[in-house]
Amino acid sequence: MQCSYCEWRCELSADSHGVCRMYYADGEEIKERFPNRWSYAVSRVESLPFFHAHPGSRSLTIGTTGCNFKCRYCSNAYIALQDPDTLSEHIYSMTPEELAGMAKKLNCHNIVFNVNEPTVSLPALWQLKKIANKAALPMGCLTNAYGTEESTELLASIFDFINVGLKGFTSKFYREYIGVNKAEPILRNIRWLAGIRHVEVTTPVIQDVNDRELEDIAGFLANIDPEIPWHIFRLLPEYEMKDIGYPSIEQISLALESARRTLSYVYFHNFVGSDWVNTACPECGMEVIERLSLGCGGDKLDYFHCHGNQCPRCGYAIKMHGGYIPL
Amino acid sequence: MVDIFPSEGKNGNGMSLAIVDAREWQNLLDLRTGKKVQDEKAQTVMLRSILKKHPYPGDVDILSNQWVTDTALDLIGAYDPQLVCVVYAHQYFASRYTPISEERRIAMIENVFAEIERFINESGHTPVIVGSGDMVKLAGEIDLSKVDGLAISSHWSARYAGLHRASARDLDYVSSNPAIERVVRRDEWISLFPGTSCQADRIPEYLLVAREGWTFVTTGTPMRKSLRIPGESFRIPLSTTLGEAATITEIRALIHANLGNEKIALIIVEGVGIHDFPIPYTPCGNKADWHYYEPGDGLYLTISTGTHQVFAHPSGYEYHDENDAKREYPFSGYFLDIPQHTLASDSPGKSIAVGNHSMFVHTIFGADICLECFARNLYNQGCLGVIHRFK
Repeated sequence: MQCSYCEWRCELSADSHGVCRMYYADGEEIKERFPNRWSYAVSRVESLPFFHAHPGSRSLTIGTTGCNFKCRYCSNAYIALQDPDTLSEHIYSMTPEELAGMAKKLNCHNIVFNVNEPTVSLPALWQLKKIANKAALPMGCLTNAYGTEESTELLASIFDFINVGLKGFTSKFYREYIGVNKAEPILRNIRWLAGIRHVEVTTPVIQDVNDRELEDIAGFLANIDPEIPWHIFRLLPEYEMKDIGYPSIEQISLALESARRTLSYVYFHNFVGSDWVNTACPECGMEVIERLSLGCGGDKLDYFHCHGNQCPRCGYAIKMHGGYIPL
Repeated sequence: MVDIFPSEGKNGNGMSLAIVDAREWQNLLDLRTGKKVQDEKAQTVMLRSILKKHPYPGDVDILSNQWVTDTALDLIGAYDPQLVCVVYAHQYFASRYTPISEERRIAMIENVFAEIERFINESGHTPVIVGSGDMVKLAGEIDLSKVDGLAISSHWSARYAGLHRASARDLDYVSSNPAIERVVRRDEWISLFPGTSCQADRIPEYLLVAREGWTFVTTGTPMRKSLRIPGESFRIPLSTTLGEAATITEIRALIHANLGNEKIALIIVEGVGIHDFPIPYTPCGNKADWHYYEPGDGLYLTISTGTHQVFAHPSGYEYHDENDAKREYPFSGYFLDIPQHTLASDSPGKSIAVGNHSMFVHTIFGADICLECFARNLYNQGCLGVIHRFK
């Protein structure tokens, strides 16, 4: 039978597990091969990154195995691109109750799926959502948004705050570097998700490859909502591209100048000591949220100056999902 | 942005400067606050230049140890220090997480000692070489994710984990697990190191000690799967012509006693112990009763301060509770401040520290000028240069 979780729409059988290798067909039902096998860790929400959702909070970050993309620069290839069959023994077998309990034991405010692609584990995540709701644990995720329309609806029903990795703007880029044929389903899903959920967008930049698409991405996001927070990541190439040069920080920052005029919240980070991680009030320019960029150690809230979600100088409502949650 | 006004020969206001180098881009910050500062002094310009000249190849890159030698030699040439602290860690990172053959592992050890020889020959410093302990193949993992309490494995520790708020069921489980060598109560652990200052409330109720080859998987365990882990290291190799040190707490005094006469380099070689150490050495005690130091901040700090530092960051403590917005030294990993009374900070002459074990180099030794890779969990982000002071 045909899988309906992502736009690959793979043919599944008892022995055929699709691109992500995480599902199989049991009669007319699609089932997970490795339900409730998780990795988990503790993180700051800013590190994931979410800059406009529950600022300052502690997250239980979780992941499974498998991915429906094959990014040539994947930084988590050792877990996302390995055969899930070989990895499932090395991660934790935990029920949703145990995972939510771990979040509580570690005093986490929320749970964020961030290691691989949530679309490959949606049934287990739906079960976790039910338990997390009872435990008052909001859930967020990082996704590549390559789900089908129906699975994106399911994704949106599980996650309250979502960071979409928009890795490029053209199908040509997605074909050559990500291993999928079309960019359109991703753009479609961003449009839809941004209407019903808190969405931030992250774009990893590979110099001379997708940096020329930045202006198009900015225009696309501004057309949906000029207040969508946009994170531009300086890509640290790994996996098949680990030998290419590091992108020039100066040149990319320069390329983002026009985006800063069309979008209210543009951040440039994923390198230590970045100057571009603070939030300025779109109305009066005051720096209302200060952060420190620790590179691969993730980012960190430094000062939260807002009153509620309002700029303390002019009262402008800064885009914010949930309130400030000091540890 | 803060302007600093250094007094003659000292870095002003006691501020430590941090230069982050993310390749082709640098930022100058206050190490304590992480805020931007301005400084154009000659030493800062010099360190910026050396950072720019030596981009870090990465923890598991074969050129990683060569980077240490080249960078240290350039810094010695520019600053002329009496005391140098150098850390070579490539073979530790590579053997821990990369599948490598025995031949390749032996070749890595030969290569690091070739780098050390080159460093000694070109620097002219008298070496004090310490191996941090052997690596052994992983025998198995002890999954503590299902305990009622909270088990934590902190900072890449393999042998130790902390158990907090343990239930009777938890204690039954860990006590009967054949891969766990012992379960140590907090008071028993503290009593092992009399006279040691410690924050008892940070120490877990129970310390779990794994048998050699076994490691814990629980909160804090890195997602990368270890292939080799630190092995039994009650004694570690010490090689020097300066004299003898029966235990790692005596190395500092040995160095200080000879610093007036010659230039000295403390060289720490990670992932190499008595079994694999290829040059003449004397065994140096690295233990207290059943406890030995793994290659981590406890070992480094004990060597640097001359006193046991097992509780500076006690194994299995709830480190995540210290990671809030108010904490200082954001680029210093889990260190909440810069340790005092360390090997170089207590030395009158000039000092530098260079190494490819990030975070430790600028925190542990207290050298005037420090240069280290900036990597976390093997992700290479560039380099960090720190000026604590200049003389």
